[in-house]
Amino acid sequence: MKLLVVEDEHKTADYVRQGLMEAGFVVDLARDGPDGLHMATTEHYDLIVLDVMLPGMDGRKILQTIRAAGNQVPVLFLTARSSVDDRVQGLELGADDYLVKPFVFSELLARVRTLLRRGGSPIPHDRIQIADLELDLARRRATRAGQRINLTSKEFALLELLARRQGEVLPRSLIASQVWDMNFDSDTNVIDVAIRRLRAKIDDSFEPKLIQTVRGMGYTLDLPDA
Amino acid sequence: MPDRFAFLRRPASLSARVTGLVGIAMMVVLLLFSWVSVGSLDRHFAEMDEEELGVIASSVIRALGEVQDGSDTQALRRAVRGHHGVYYYVADAGGKTLYAPKDGPDLASFARRTPPVPLADRQSMTIWEENGKSYRGGVIQVGGDTSLSGTYTIAVAMNIGGHLEFIRSFKRIQWWTICVVMCIAILVAWFAVRWGHIPIHRANEKIRAITSSKLYLRLDPKAVPVELEETIASFNDMLGRIEDGFEQLANFSADIAHELRTPVTNLTTQTEVALGQARSADEYREILYSNLEEFGRLNRMINDMLFLAQTENDPGNLNLESVVLEDAVRGLFEYFEALVEERGVKLELRGRTTPIRGDREMLRRALSNLISNAIRYTPSGETITVRFSQNDRDVIISVENPGEKIPPEELSRIFNRFYRVGHAAHRKGEGAGLGLAIVKSIVEAHGGSVSALSDEKLTKFYILLPLTES
Repeated sequence: MKLLVVEDEHKTADYVRQGLMEAGFVVDLARDGPDGLHMATTEHYDLIVLDVMLPGMDGRKILQTIRAAGNQVPVLFLTARSSVDDRVQGLELGADDYLVKPFVFSELLARVRTLLRRGGSPIPHDRIQIADLELDLARRRATRAGQRINLTSKEFALLELLARRQGEVLPRSLIASQVWDMNFDSDTNVIDVAIRRLRAKIDDSFEPKLIQTVRGMGYTLDLPDA
Repeated sequence: MPDRFAFLRRPASLSARVTGLVGIAMMVVLLLFSWVSVGSLDRHFAEMDEEELGVIASSVIRALGEVQDGSDTQALRRAVRGHHGVYYYVADAGGKTLYAPKDGPDLASFARRTPPVPLADRQSMTIWEENGKSYRGGVIQVGGDTSLSGTYTIAVAMNIGGHLEFIRSFKRIQWWTICVVMCIAILVAWFAVRWGHIPIHRANEKIRAITSSKLYLRLDPKAVPVELEETIASFNDMLGRIEDGFEQLANFSADIAHELRTPVTNLTTQTEVALGQARSADEYREILYSNLEEFGRLNRMINDMLFLAQTENDPGNLNLESVVLEDAVRGLFEYFEALVEERGVKLELRGRTTPIRGDREMLRRALSNLISNAIRYTPSGETITVRFSQNDRDVIISVENPGEKIPPEELSRIFNRFYRVGHAAHRKGEGAGLGLAIVKSIVEAHGGSVSALSDEKLTKFYILLPLTES
């Protein structure tokens, strides 16, 4: 997967590139508007991360030009202001998603992966298997090592989210938003408790342990590193 | 384009208003006075003249009676003596002139063109001009009775130039007097207004002395004229509100600095110690994780403060829709399910409300903060109740939890930013003490209010939301 990051702020650009490269992407970096536009129109990318405020030419103009040329590459807009107008305008111009600066990297990575998945061919998900954990999405049932596991509907939704994004570190805020529609910070450890209870059901009496805690970042469901 | 007529839309200055009004009032009064006095002077002269003309007419009639013969012009000439500027004319029934004065107006033609009356009275007198002189006079017809043998026409007139001249000069003097009096009155009014404004200027100087560092200063409402008392009182009130706001802001800044300093100092110290000697990769990783957690906490605090600032600075920025509060609370109960089960407490929803207009996400956030706060302080085995009730104007939501009593002095400050009951230190999973402040700002942005009650058994938080959001 090849990504283009158009961002003029040096430190942000560098850590975004490094983070994305370490997450397994090939990343090109443009540090101003004209460069960004040139690269976006001459090379093929699977996704463009585009800052709104850029020297030379602003992100909106670049987006407009790209779309006018019939290029439907997914674009993740980085907006500095959190004003609704800005977001609406970005989406109207054809951005696929937006992220308000400043953002934490795990959030950016999660959005990038979501956009790439949306663009690509979705796997017909009616069952997911990770190690000996099996999810039957149609009947909302989970089994581990052939053993049926009783989950509440929210526990199943949580497990499904982790399983669909196997290997991705999901921040607590993203989990709260996806499973419970809580789109704001709650100063409680609800997510930790929910994960602990889910672990008790799917991990405690089985090996290997699938749900991993990534300290300071969130949780991921994956086979432990060999 | 600059607005050249802006000064026209500005209310007229107070001096101009008062001076103008006084000027107009004086003018009306003086004109009225002048009109009345000139009128009465005019009437007075007219009466005097008529009386004199009447006397003359009588003398002429008497003379006519004595001569018994209209041809005795000598007797008629002698009829009137000792009167100056008075003329008379006598004709017999056939229109033949019996006597005409040598000088003065042409009374013969005056007698011909004026319809005669039996007796001289005021209505019959006329004023006319002849050869540049003004006369008043009248024509009467006498005779046909016992005292006179024939019928005679008598015209009498007098020169009233002197009177008219007197009235003219009286008017002239009066105009001058009016002008001078007007000028004096306007000047006095202007000075009176200026003088009346001195207390305002004085109050103004005091107000100017109130800088942002001296917001505790107040103006004495008793030291100004009674008309200004209310203004000064209102000003003092406003000053009080500004002072409160300033103090809150200053405290808030101090709080922010303090709240941020602690974690930043921790991070600094930890990093310094970590770099003090070579460590294993695992140890470094551990330190970075620990830092990450601390950064996460800082980040959440900053986001909360930003949210507070935005809600309070721009309360109109709500995404209004119809919100079914019961559904919102049930959704939140689902979210907290794992937590309450672990804590061994229960959540209960009672009562119902009609849907209200509000920002769904914001209201959920406010309710979520209240519920998580209640969960934190409820002992195991107890039940937290979210209760809805409503009257015709408001929806009342109460979140009640059994637990330790919060002392009244703490209760009054519980919605303040960074306030933590008992000044408890950070506990794991606990926020920066902004949760209830956020509740308050969200509810107030919806035009509602928050309050709290606490006794030995129950602590209750109330949210009051208006049914029709204005």
